[in-house]
Amino acid sequence: MNPEDTKLSALLRQSRVSPALPPRFQEKVWRRIEDADAPANSASWLDTLAALALRPRFAYAIIAVLMLAGVLLGAQKGVNIAKQDAQARYVALEAPSALR
Amino acid sequence: MKRPLVILLAALAIGAVVFAGSYFAGKRACVATMSHRADDLSWLREEFHLNDVEMARIRQLHEGYMPECARMCAMIAAKNAEVQSALGSGTNVTAQAQTKLAELGQLRAQCQANMLRHFIAVSQAMPPEEGRCYLTEMEKITLNSHEQIEQSMFPGHDHGNN
Repeated sequence: MNPEDTKLSALLRQSRVSPALPPRFQEKVWRRIEDADAPANSASWLDTLAALALRPRFAYAIIAVLMLAGVLLGAQKGVNIAKQDAQARYVALEAPSALR
Repeated sequence: MKRPLVILLAALAIGAVVFAGSYFAGKRACVATMSHRADDLSWLREEFHLNDVEMARIRQLHEGYMPECARMCAMIAAKNAEVQSALGSGTNVTAQAQTKLAELGQLRAQCQANMLRHFIAVSQAMPPEEGRCYLTEMEKITLNSHEQIEQSMFPGHDHGNN
């Protein structure tokens, strides 16, 4: 290396202006590094539910529960309707509407 | 629209259809089954927990009462036709129409008295507590409907309670 070049290099290094770092620069850099390393946790509750709904076992279980609940509630309502019909039939027979 | 939202809406729609279908199927099956095996007096057996002996006695009372009830109903229908005929197309209530209306009222009262006698006889064929419930229920259904009509016609008045 030329001794002239060494001198020139030193002069150039001195002349370069290094800007001041923003406050808490180091801390922010480390935080960004940690965030990048952490596992992705961006899925919202909507995505979670949608993923759950697409799982066959979960979907079949929910359908079975809904069917059971529907049949039980429908049967209960049916019993009440049949009871009311039977009562109305009996009353119509024993007490015709002309008398009520 | 976002894909997860579409999936969830579709799942909700399917769930609603499954639930509604099961509900209506269950209801229809139950009504059909219960109506199919029910006779005219089955409501009494179910509602008042009657045994075979009590039911046999009530059936006997019922079969004795029905021809009389039918005869009275035919008389009321005939008297009703006479009232209509007496009223004709006029705008006045004639003396004849008034007489017919009174006769119709008498027939109805007689028929109601027969009906109450029958209800009392049926209630006596049941265990005492069930009999009381039955009589209360039948009086409520057959007689109190007039009170409701009268109260709805004159909400400010309090007939017969003073």
